[in-house]
Amino acid sequence: MGVTFIGVRHHSPACARLVASTIDRVRPAYVLIEGPADLNDRIGELLLGHELPIAVFTSFHDEEGGHESWTPLCDYSPEWVALNHGRDAGAELRFIDLPAWHPTFAGRSNRYADAELRHADVIDRLCRGFKLDNADALWDHLMEIGPDDGLAERLAAYFDLVRATAEAGEPDTAREAYMARWVRAAHAAAGDLPVVVVTGGFHRPALVAALAAGGDTSWPEVPGLPEGVRGGSFLAPYSFRRLDAFDGYQSGMPSPAYYQQLWESGPEGAARHLEEAVVSRLRERKQPVSTADLIAARATADGLAATRGHIHPSRADVLDGLASALIDEALDVPLPWSSRGTLRASNHPVVVEMVAALSGSRVGRLHPDTPAPPLVHDLDAELVRAGLDEPAELSLDLTLDDDRERSRILHRVRILGVPGFDRTSGPGTGLDPMMTERWTLRSEPGRLTAVIEAGAYGATLADASAAILGERSAGASIDTLSRVLFDAALAGIHQVSEQALSDVDATVAMAPELGTLGRALAVVVTMWRHDHIFGTARNATLGRVIGAAVRRILWLAEGVRGGAVPADLGRIAAIAACRDALRHAGTALGLDVTDALEVTERITSDTTAPPDIRGAAFGLRWALSSRRALDPVRVTRGAFMVRTLGDWLAGLFALAREEVLHAEEIIGLLDEMLSAMPVEDFLVALPALRQAFAFFPPREREAIAERLLRRRGILGTGRSLLRAVTDPAVVAAGMHLDEQVDTLLQREGLLS
Amino acid sequence: MNAHAAVEVAASATEVQRPPAELRYADELARLRATDTGARPPGWVLSVQAARSFVVGDDALGVTRKFVGDPSLIDRALISLATSRGLMLVGEPGTAKSLLSELLATAVSGDSTLTIQGGAATTEDQIRYSWNYALLVADGPSTRSLVPAPLLRGMADGRTVRFEEITRCPIEVQDCLLSPLSDRVLAIPELSGPDATVFARDGFNIIATANTHDRGVNDMSSALKRRFNFETVFPIADFATELALVADEAAKLLRRSGVTTEPRRDILEVLVTTFRELRSGETVRGDSMERLSSAMSTAEAVSVAHAVGLRGWFLRGEPGNAEDVVACLAGAAAKDNPDDLAKLRRYLSQQVAWRAGEQWTALHQARHMLPG
Repeated sequence: MGVTFIGVRHHSPACARLVASTIDRVRPAYVLIEGPADLNDRIGELLLGHELPIAVFTSFHDEEGGHESWTPLCDYSPEWVALNHGRDAGAELRFIDLPAWHPTFAGRSNRYADAELRHADVIDRLCRGFKLDNADALWDHLMEIGPDDGLAERLAAYFDLVRATAEAGEPDTAREAYMARWVRAAHAAAGDLPVVVVTGGFHRPALVAALAAGGDTSWPEVPGLPEGVRGGSFLAPYSFRRLDAFDGYQSGMPSPAYYQQLWESGPEGAARHLEEAVVSRLRERKQPVSTADLIAARATADGLAATRGHIHPSRADVLDGLASALIDEALDVPLPWSSRGTLRASNHPVVVEMVAALSGSRVGRLHPDTPAPPLVHDLDAELVRAGLDEPAELSLDLTLDDDRERSRILHRVRILGVPGFDRTSGPGTGLDPMMTERWTLRSEPGRLTAVIEAGAYGATLADASAAILGERSAGASIDTLSRVLFDAALAGIHQVSEQALSDVDATVAMAPELGTLGRALAVVVTMWRHDHIFGTARNATLGRVIGAAVRRILWLAEGVRGGAVPADLGRIAAIAACRDALRHAGTALGLDVTDALEVTERITSDTTAPPDIRGAAFGLRWALSSRRALDPVRVTRGAFMVRTLGDWLAGLFALAREEVLHAEEIIGLLDEMLSAMPVEDFLVALPALRQAFAFFPPREREAIAERLLRRRGILGTGRSLLRAVTDPAVVAAGMHLDEQVDTLLQREGLLS
Repeated sequence: MNAHAAVEVAASATEVQRPPAELRYADELARLRATDTGARPPGWVLSVQAARSFVVGDDALGVTRKFVGDPSLIDRALISLATSRGLMLVGEPGTAKSLLSELLATAVSGDSTLTIQGGAATTEDQIRYSWNYALLVADGPSTRSLVPAPLLRGMADGRTVRFEEITRCPIEVQDCLLSPLSDRVLAIPELSGPDATVFARDGFNIIATANTHDRGVNDMSSALKRRFNFETVFPIADFATELALVADEAAKLLRRSGVTTEPRRDILEVLVTTFRELRSGETVRGDSMERLSSAMSTAEAVSVAHAVGLRGWFLRGEPGNAEDVVACLAGAAAKDNPDDLAKLRRYLSQQVAWRAGEQWTALHQARHMLPG
């Protein structure tokens, strides 16, 4: 007997059915499965009797940092079906692919992704030929909905075509060479008995060719972990939601809940179940779905199925039918099943429910005898080593190396979300100079469960906490992001992963508001400049955040409109943070000062920008460029409008306090113009002026007062001017009263 | 003499500026009809499959692809037309909604000319029917004095009626579609006997288009919304597809304008990227920005590419460069809106410099060419 090769698409029910019927029919001596060969002596663990979906989780560390890889399995995975039917048929089961830590898997987080199917040119041509939207619709059309007769031939033809036209990368070739050795060895060992090989369809043509070519028939060795790399695999419960969340090159078959139904009850049943699930979800959320809508949806789905040549409605037919019938307004983004990708914001609520119904909420559960993930052991060891394994009240001095190390461990545990580790006091942001921390450690019943759960994030405390921070930063608001960065500093996690970094860029680039972004930048700049205690000074991650935040602040600042509104201290502070970043980190990080100056120049002269932003923009220019180029006197004179002067000055003083203080002529100009102001105008401008001058600390205000006195030929200290016995507000009220009395007297002709 | 000449010119189809789709693609339609074996919905001139091939193209039959977009949109639209609901195409300006409605009407009825153009001044007369007043006064109301408008003709002949820009019409006017759509009947109360009621024949349906920019100008009643299946037509999702389309169309226009150099590919890339980013309010690396209020459609990109080519050729005798792009963008993107001009200026000064590429650098340097 020979070798039967079944080329599958991972997570395809049609392929799973084919695998089951083939194994049941030929009763092979060996079933070889694309999966991590280092797990071969642990196949028993997989067959303990878990509730699916589950996944083999592999994490490992090399010089470049930590990596994670998932091998997800669900009821309808061809690989899973091969394991179970193979065992029932009494076959020897073998995983025949390279381990997840092998360099050929670099950058892959999902072993069962099918990037080659999505990105092959031939798929695009087939889609056009069949007049279908994308690879998923094409797959359903050809394989899932069609009859089982001839499925094996269709699969083989399809994958031969893909393979013939797509370029196999070096990693593919390496993996195929390795898998081929297993196939040859099993074929030799089986003698007359049959062998079944279940691999990704893309690899099948290469394996068939390799067996025909012949070669070494000894069993291949399983590569051990290379020097300097540590890691391991363990089973973890998985969920349909995560299975559906892989994106881009990592994605596999979408819509697990639909395909689970397809596996259990066939295409007609799955279509009806999908309709029901969507409608009941919508009705639960009080969205009206009338019987007429349902009839229309069903009729459209059946009509589409007939048009597209389907005996039963496919996934896309049902979804298109529902969309036609239920959506009666314009959409903001295209229907997600026509352009594959993760669900974007601003999808229509009906569409969101439809996608959720497709995805499902099933969560797997491991058999109790399953070995625990290594994080459980790592965490215990770390705590014992640092003497933190007993309930205690601790006070840690962060300037001492030992205490700082213990603090880092505790922060990492806190980040994992393990109960029983509470910090009662300690530094809250990078801006407060607090150097001690207090912790309360208790034993909590839910602790072990939480650690096992966190084990999915990494094998060690450091990796798991870093991964969780990475996840928290994904799609986070700028506020959350600055907390994440500070948590990273507290926990001594210096490099957030590449993924998190690109998220940081995206988050900052999408920050909608100056105030929060400014606060975040201020914290980050301080940490980048000073924090030797946390080891964050000159940290590359922070540097990247600074660059992105400066660009975004300048961008946002130019977009603020609104004319004469009162000064907003938050946005002034944002521009000030921007100045600090440019001044202290500009050269080191290669920030573009020229660009910043150009932006601020435009804002300064833009009459539709609010006065505080214009003042701040001018202040930024002044702080960053030579004064000769600027002519501050002229600009200040130009800003001298009663209603907006104070707000403009607030911006200027916040950004260029020092510069103003050393510019004698500006003080002179202000004195001259304020003195010349009519009383009623002065009263209007006063509140904002007071706010503006509050940016000067008392000592500097005193210096200004002294200069004012000197201008009037009076020698002496300005302190008395500042320490008026009467509250300035009372003085202002008195002036206002005087003014009214004068007006009244004049009107009645009693005063000329 | 002059009038005579004008009639002669109009009579020759090749001289018509833009013949309707059924004439432009007459040979493709003939081929499709000859090979069409599928079942036809009642009153249709093609089967659903053949109609679909007409729009999305079929290489084997030599039928060109006329609409760039998801084929599933065409499937849904055709099935909607075969059911008892009308089809409503909505989307941003310049997303080829009208072209799509013309193609669908041609595929279904072989005739795309039963068209109502919606506008503030559209009345029920222009939609349903009006009277020849001379005959009306002479003979009284009769089928002879009746002047059918597109809706009545479509119902009586069993053909597809197109209603362009429906939300530009007042809501009361739109509602005259209610009973033709739900009961498939139109009453003519002025006539008596069997002529007083026109029942729609098989093949009648309505394709309406509406612009999402007009949302709020005139909304639609929910009763009317229920009688339509909505399909949103999106700008072209794929960069390469849009670039290819812009390159093709711009090259055609330039040739017609007597320009003999091809537009530069890298300039077109910069132009199309700029349009896509200003349209979506997001740069390729994810910075969010304000969208422009004018429509940055593919059609608009084609006309800017055309203008860029003209400017380069007639001013300097070479293909258009980055400076031409900036100069022409101002007219296309900003129109008379100073806010859009300011947004464009911000974009050119802050969202261009970080990109690699000779033309991006040139574009950044040319930012001062913006007027104002």
